[in-house]
Amino acid sequence: MPGADKETDLTERIEAFLADLKRGGSGTGPLRGSGEMARETTYLLRRITAQARWSSAGDLMEIIRNEGRRMTAAQPSETTVGNMVRRVLKIIREEYARSRGSSEETEQQESLHKLLTAGELSEETFREHFVHLKANVIEAINELLTELDGTTDNIAMQALEHIHSNEVIMTVGRSRTVEAFLKDAARKRKFHVIVAECAPFCQGHEMATGLSKVGIETTVIADAAIFAVMSRVNKVIIGTQTVLANGGLRAVNGTHSVALAARHHSTPLIICAPMFKLSPQVFTTCSLSLNDVNSCFPVLKILSKVNVHCPVFDYVPPELITLFISNIGGNAPSYIYRLMSELYHPEDHKL
Amino acid sequence: MSSRGGKQKKGNVTSEQEEEEQPLQAVLVADSFNRRFFPISKDQPRALLPLGNVAMIDYTLEFLTSTGVQETFVFCCWMSNKIKDHLLKSKWCRPTSPNVVHIITSDLYRSLGDVLRDVDAKNLVRNDFILVYGDVVSNIDVSQALQEHRHRRKVDKNISVMTMVFKESSPGHKSRCEEDDVIVAMDSKSKRVLHYQKTQGLKKLQFPMNIFQHGSDEFEIRHDLLDCHISICSPQVAELFTDNFDYQTRNDFVRGILVNEEILGNQIHLYVTQDGYGARVSNLQMYDSVSSDMVRRWVYPLTPEANFTDQQGQGCTHSRHNVYRGAEVSLGHGSQMEENVLIGRDTSIGANCHISNSVIGNNCTIGDNVVLDRAHMWNNVHISSNVEIHQSVVCDGAVVKEAVRLNKQCVLAYNVVIGPNLSLPEGTVVSMHHPEEEEEDDDDEFLSDDQEVGHSKDKTRQKAFQLEVLGTLQRGLEENIVCDNLVLEINSLKYAYNITLKEVMQILTRVVLEYPFQQIAYFLFSSPPASQLLKTWSPVFKNYIKRAQDHLDCLSAVEELFLEQDTHQTVLMKMYQLEILEEEAILKWFSTGATNDKSRQLRKNQGLQKFIQWLKEAEDESSEEGE
Repeated sequence: MPGADKETDLTERIEAFLADLKRGGSGTGPLRGSGEMARETTYLLRRITAQARWSSAGDLMEIIRNEGRRMTAAQPSETTVGNMVRRVLKIIREEYARSRGSSEETEQQESLHKLLTAGELSEETFREHFVHLKANVIEAINELLTELDGTTDNIAMQALEHIHSNEVIMTVGRSRTVEAFLKDAARKRKFHVIVAECAPFCQGHEMATGLSKVGIETTVIADAAIFAVMSRVNKVIIGTQTVLANGGLRAVNGTHSVALAARHHSTPLIICAPMFKLSPQVFTTCSLSLNDVNSCFPVLKILSKVNVHCPVFDYVPPELITLFISNIGGNAPSYIYRLMSELYHPEDHKL
Repeated sequence: MSSRGGKQKKGNVTSEQEEEEQPLQAVLVADSFNRRFFPISKDQPRALLPLGNVAMIDYTLEFLTSTGVQETFVFCCWMSNKIKDHLLKSKWCRPTSPNVVHIITSDLYRSLGDVLRDVDAKNLVRNDFILVYGDVVSNIDVSQALQEHRHRRKVDKNISVMTMVFKESSPGHKSRCEEDDVIVAMDSKSKRVLHYQKTQGLKKLQFPMNIFQHGSDEFEIRHDLLDCHISICSPQVAELFTDNFDYQTRNDFVRGILVNEEILGNQIHLYVTQDGYGARVSNLQMYDSVSSDMVRRWVYPLTPEANFTDQQGQGCTHSRHNVYRGAEVSLGHGSQMEENVLIGRDTSIGANCHISNSVIGNNCTIGDNVVLDRAHMWNNVHISSNVEIHQSVVCDGAVVKEAVRLNKQCVLAYNVVIGPNLSLPEGTVVSMHHPEEEEEDDDDEFLSDDQEVGHSKDKTRQKAFQLEVLGTLQRGLEENIVCDNLVLEINSLKYAYNITLKEVMQILTRVVLEYPFQQIAYFLFSSPPASQLLKTWSPVFKNYIKRAQDHLDCLSAVEELFLEQDTHQTVLMKMYQLEILEEEAILKWFSTGATNDKSRQLRKNQGLQKFIQWLKEAEDESSEEGE
């Protein structure tokens, strides 16, 4: 039966994706960037929409929510997966509302006006069946994919507005977005880049090699020298792994110290992050729950009485950040909550 | 008997390029063929014992899968049903698993050698394969070792037979098992093994001169190697095991290859890794150290919160100081989880407890004021208040009542109930199984299966075996053959006639003791007296008499002989002096072994009683000297 084949095929793909997620995060599988992760997730979600059995929007949302829960459980540190799931859920809601004929904007956003004027909450059960819903959803997901493909270029296009000639720019570790950003600016401007190597994995070295290939003057410094060098830096431009709901960051280990050094010298801190990295998660006090502690071998050989902690991520509070540059333009950290409400529906914040 | 647990993959047909793309295979031996975990392993096979609330075999399979193994053969012997059930329910047997697991069970396996002979007989491996035990915990990336192995075989036309994976680790490190401690001489450039020896705690070791004459300028003698028990083997390994019947363990194999190097030309190589963690849980000490290494995240990515076995409800959260908590864990007021603690789901902990460096399973109940330090508790354990547990293992279903103190290295086996107000001294093992019920396990199962038909066949076989052994010993005496070779011959006869170990020993005893009487019938030459014979053949005896049960079996054979032939008791004295038999065994046999009138009569024999008396006095003296 072709239907059963499709289903088993779908289940297989989902299982393979989950296994990849588990291994990818641990470093034994192929290492992927967030962009690729987001794209893979969206492909899979599109496939689920196309091949799974569902009759109404509610069913589809339930299926996607379940799969999303499994995916986030497989690799909690990979937040782009959850973000894409929430984007798709929002797309489904919008398409459903559009099919029903009501305008989505006013109904779905919480506002003071709505609180005061609306009598009862309308029950949205998403039970109605619309013939073209599937096609519409798939088309919207395709638009999402196009948006994902273009994020790096969109960000890089804004480089010339922010980088001026003869500036000294500092960056930490390796970020593909920042690399593209700086390379784009280098086409027309001459500036100098200082890269902090970001031990123990020293990804700053790869970043420096990549930048110097395009002719940018690059210097690599050890992490300990960050504060010392900061007085000569005009701007700090870094990438991040996740942007949290309060405007804070979950970035590579060492970023918080860079941010504090920048604040001390009143150097602007600019974050280049595409919108798919924006996550509804919030920083909690038990910080390690957001953190992924990595293998300790690069740091120290195994010893009996010594415990080695090698956390991968750092939290940077929003007060230390000056500007977010994303594919939809530049924004202040205090505006992030608003962007988030446009991207995700409040009920999807917890999958 | 083999059964499939997954989708079947068709092997590729030969062309050279496709040979390299053939799926990587692995042989997993889910039985350790020893009793280090006895009596815990009486209820549950060792491969299924939980390490950090996950069965040990899961770690091994995850290690193999992440290396890229696509086909695994799991060989089970002891309690194979449980292992099979576990694997069929696990994620390895799902149709989407990248690693296809085939489970092969047999009750006849007695050693690693038997398993590999079976691998050869069934023609299971086509290419290089990875050989591991079911209790190996590792995150080493062996792809580099695999590449080197394949390269060597291609370059040198299949001379290299096996590559052993070792980890660099300082001597005396706690994850180095003392039993497995090796000292290896290797050629630095080619990584070839020149000499391989177990240190066995010796302070002085001897090296043969030929390792210095091997023609390579650089070689190293290393004692900083931890044996990970992971080997990359070529298909020749299985054939070599079939050819050499007496290879039982990997050590035999390695030494055999090194000794026969000139004849066969085979070589063994090493791969030493600095990062990565690999260890085998071969005894309880190793269990403790591997468990603590796992909780401290040295085996990343096989960490508790990763839930790599994909089981529902198994996930836990990771907090500061390596404290892992499963779902629905409740912690009482004032309780502290200091560091390196793993708590399974649905466990409730009372007030004012102090827990550190421990692993607690699912569904446990812990009372108030409990101190747990390096404790390993499995599922469904109930611990009452005011209990202290230090460096001990408490198995499923155990109940520990109030005010009990378990000192170091205690083991409470399944479903044990320990009463209130007790303090167990160090090294106590408490189990529901009576220690004297220690049957001769699988041997008896064989005979009991086909009782009547088997019996007569047994008799003829035993008779034939007895004659053969007699012949061997005769030849041994005439040609002055070394005792090791005699042991070899007797072992091969054992296989040929399908005799169990217990019977071998008993028949051997009979033959030796009857030898003088046989010779008289022949009139060939004057036979040496029985005592001389015993002395000559004492190494042979010692090879077969190792455990307490063996002593008793030997004594029962001697008893039968006395009853039939009415020989002298000096035999016993001689055997005791040659240290073939221990005094405890003899005393035990004397006091408890009387099963019928005849044997009771025997015990009343004057000479025998005198001997026992002397023995008791001797024992008292030695025990006085001792403490």
